[in-house]
Amino acid sequence: MRKRTRRAALLAALLAAGPSNAIAQPSAATRPAQASSAINIPFETYKLPNGLTVILSVDRTVPRVAVDVWYHVGSKNEKPGRTGFAHMFEHVMFTGSGNVPYGYHDRFTEGVGGFNNGSTNNDRTNYYEVVPSNYLETALWMEADRMGFLLEKLDEAKFVAQRDIVQNERRQGIDNQPYGRAFEIIASQLLDDSHPYSWPVVGYMSDLQKATVDDVKEFFRLYYAPNNATIAIVGDFNPAQVKAWVTKYFGDLKRGAPIVRPTVKPVTLAAEKRVTFEDRVQVPRLQVAWPTVGTDSDDDRVLDIVSAILSGPRTARLTKALVFDAQSAANVGAFQASSENYGFYMVQVTPRPGHSLTALETAMDSVIERLKRDGPTADEMTKATVGAEFGFVSGLENTLNKAETLLSGSVFKGDPGYFKRDYAAIKAVTAADVKRVANKYFTAGRVVLSIVPQGKLDQAAKPEASKKVTVAGDGARYVVEGK
Amino acid sequence: MTMHTRIARTLVATAVVTAVATATIGAQAAPRQAATLDRTKQPVAPASPTTRIPTWTKAKLANGAELIVSVKRDLPLVSFTIAVVGGALNFESDAKLGVAGFAAQMMTEGTTTKSADALSDAQQMLGTSINVGIGAESGTIGFTALKDRFDAALALAADMMLNSTYPADALERIRGRTLVGLQQARDQPNTIAANVFSKVNYGDAHPYGRVVTEATIKAITREDVAGFAREYFKPGRAVITVVGDVDPARVRASIEKAFAAWAAGGERPSFSYPQPPARKARAIYLVDKPAAAQSVFQLGHIGPDRYTPDYYALQVMNTLLGQLFQSRLNANIREQKGYSYGVSSSYAYGRGPGAFRAGGGIMTAKTDSALIEFMKELRGVQGAIPFTDDELTQGKDALVQSLPETFASVGGVRGAISGVYVQGLGDAYYQEYAAKVRAVTKDDLVRVAKKYIDIDNLNIIIVGDRATIEEPLSKTGIAPVIRLDVDGRPVITP
Repeated sequence: MRKRTRRAALLAALLAAGPSNAIAQPSAATRPAQASSAINIPFETYKLPNGLTVILSVDRTVPRVAVDVWYHVGSKNEKPGRTGFAHMFEHVMFTGSGNVPYGYHDRFTEGVGGFNNGSTNNDRTNYYEVVPSNYLETALWMEADRMGFLLEKLDEAKFVAQRDIVQNERRQGIDNQPYGRAFEIIASQLLDDSHPYSWPVVGYMSDLQKATVDDVKEFFRLYYAPNNATIAIVGDFNPAQVKAWVTKYFGDLKRGAPIVRPTVKPVTLAAEKRVTFEDRVQVPRLQVAWPTVGTDSDDDRVLDIVSAILSGPRTARLTKALVFDAQSAANVGAFQASSENYGFYMVQVTPRPGHSLTALETAMDSVIERLKRDGPTADEMTKATVGAEFGFVSGLENTLNKAETLLSGSVFKGDPGYFKRDYAAIKAVTAADVKRVANKYFTAGRVVLSIVPQGKLDQAAKPEASKKVTVAGDGARYVVEGK
Repeated sequence: MTMHTRIARTLVATAVVTAVATATIGAQAAPRQAATLDRTKQPVAPASPTTRIPTWTKAKLANGAELIVSVKRDLPLVSFTIAVVGGALNFESDAKLGVAGFAAQMMTEGTTTKSADALSDAQQMLGTSINVGIGAESGTIGFTALKDRFDAALALAADMMLNSTYPADALERIRGRTLVGLQQARDQPNTIAANVFSKVNYGDAHPYGRVVTEATIKAITREDVAGFAREYFKPGRAVITVVGDVDPARVRASIEKAFAAWAAGGERPSFSYPQPPARKARAIYLVDKPAAAQSVFQLGHIGPDRYTPDYYALQVMNTLLGQLFQSRLNANIREQKGYSYGVSSSYAYGRGPGAFRAGGGIMTAKTDSALIEFMKELRGVQGAIPFTDDELTQGKDALVQSLPETFASVGGVRGAISGVYVQGLGDAYYQEYAAKVRAVTKDDLVRVAKKYIDIDNLNIIIVGDRATIEEPLSKTGIAPVIRLDVDGRPVITP
């Protein structure tokens, strides 16, 4: 039994939000005939007149059902100065609604042997429960009630408590964690303050305190209408019966106003930015980030293949060069962190004693330059993608995972079956694609962040060229010295 | 959940047919609901579905290893492990703590016929990874793979287990990385709290108080690692479990072929541990973490082993105390007071007396207030706040009706079955589980809470900003404050 963590999916949002990630690492699999039949989640989808999209997928492996509702709203829909609201709102959705008292979501999920949670990322907010199949109608009743009637029982005291809890979530996940602020600092350097992906999903501490009950009402009416929602039901049920229930509980909810989504401009940096942050750590760390693209670009999946070539197994290029051959790094990670309309590529290196971040940066750069110059080998291309079939098939063992895959396709690509196209597209990625993408994104316009022990600014990569970055007094932004 | 469930089911099935007919018409002609839907009425859940407990066959191989096979054909997957009864606590020597972890890592460093890179490439090409892990009281080597890759993956696992070369240069690399990890762990408040908790409760003499240190990591030699691995993975203490889309007879032949060179030998450890230290009077052990945003709490004491006859009652009690989201601790300290992002409690059980512990991250300014609430809830389950009938029902249903989640995947089934034999819980463990949970009464809950929560001898570990929290903690009068360093040693105040 796992604890519920209603968390801002900070890393999760960045690392796993996109549809291409939802089906693990797709691939140039080996036996096409079998692969094509294994890459499947049978489903049906339809829309109610009020705009609610419904996705059904039967899986009778065990007598349970996953109910998963996505609202197409996340932190990117917030305004600067009011950051963290989408996620705080997610917490409010668990405080009871018109006909469902506070605590029922837990009583009739965990209390009957199921579980529930919600999560917010930059692009979407989800709410789900996995319950014994006899509680499916109860789950639909509860989800419909908070979609339709949250404001009828909005309780100010509970709202205030959740505002405190979200601040604790921030303390636990970021402020009290070694290296915890790295992603926020990088975002603050990659993006200007008005960019919808520049602020953290969990929000800045001083902004969290500003949220009011009126904010909750306005946000709910606009973003939590059925036309902005998609529900997936995956598991052991009778589809005809479930369609009847969906109509019964969701059919008369009112359609909301049209939603204007933020425009997200492509991001590039004219020149390198070098910053150093002093943290309560004993071991320094180097983090280098390039602006890239979101899941709305085909380059996103190519960058995932770049990651498999650069880090992970001991034969991956950065891992082999730094951790195994030179043994200058304790560990290395390289990954494309993509959201719907924005992404960045990150390389993270922890040194072994006696090895400077400056030297590690140089070593890292030479590995990346070689990939840009020569591209990957055929063998590397195969290894990077061959595991995709197993990744997909093992993902089918989990109904909630299947629901998430169908939903991300439906919400971001307009097709719950997008996973098939994505799988085929990844199989079609060539070595030339990888070389082109490496050259396109691994440019001089990047952020180089050194996290060093307090008082040890000299441990930064090229310390003379790096500016000190600090947390502003109100905790709501990062200030670069001399800027 | 008893006999009248059948009747309820029949009635529901009839209702379903009616609903379907209505829905079809509704969806096509008049999708808008009639305004008569009474949303105040919670749907009546039909009877619980029957939990299908997996079945399996059990055999003994010629070399003495147990083989358990369970067929599960939903997907073309197979999960395989060799689990060893006994772990680091039973096979490491005090001066070489960490050698078990090194042995597990070194099994990926090459065999007599394959370089480490070739081993890694082979796994990538099979789309799987062979995982080796040696924990406190058991260890495993295993994988999950597509069924048509099973034999190839099995051959790799056997090669790693039987023919690893444990090269000295790899040991130095692993040692270097481990030392960096240990250094980073000293900045991590949760890790500090866990280590100090072990030291305060079990001391240095009991295996449960052991903590790997730089000194023990530096003392390990290549011969230690190779010797440990060779001695550890012996069929006489091994449980092989295979779950998935397999033919049981064929799978046995495959295993016997792949592990033909695995000679008989080894026996299960006795798990006879020294007596743990006597319990100490309640105290707050404070580890300073200047300017920390949160205080990390771990409060508890030595608890029962896995074989206590009170296991089921204790599990229900603890589910209600600190496992459910609306458990007493989390409902109070997180949801009502807003002091935390989440608090919980657990019993570690184990072959020996594993710890009871409660805790979580608490906002610095509410450290004292939160401790008062922890104490209140511990007294509450001992009788001060009576359990309700609905709590009892939830506690039982949460345990019994979550079993199907465990049985949904080949890895889940494999872990469940393997655990039965590694821990010696008996063939019928899962068949009898529900009945044993269902037999628990409210009186049992209070009885086990009194027996297994020792409020007078609670060790309260708090890692946080001493300058802010020490005085308020003292003023609660709950217990004297004793300062410790990150290794659990007393801090001498000038």
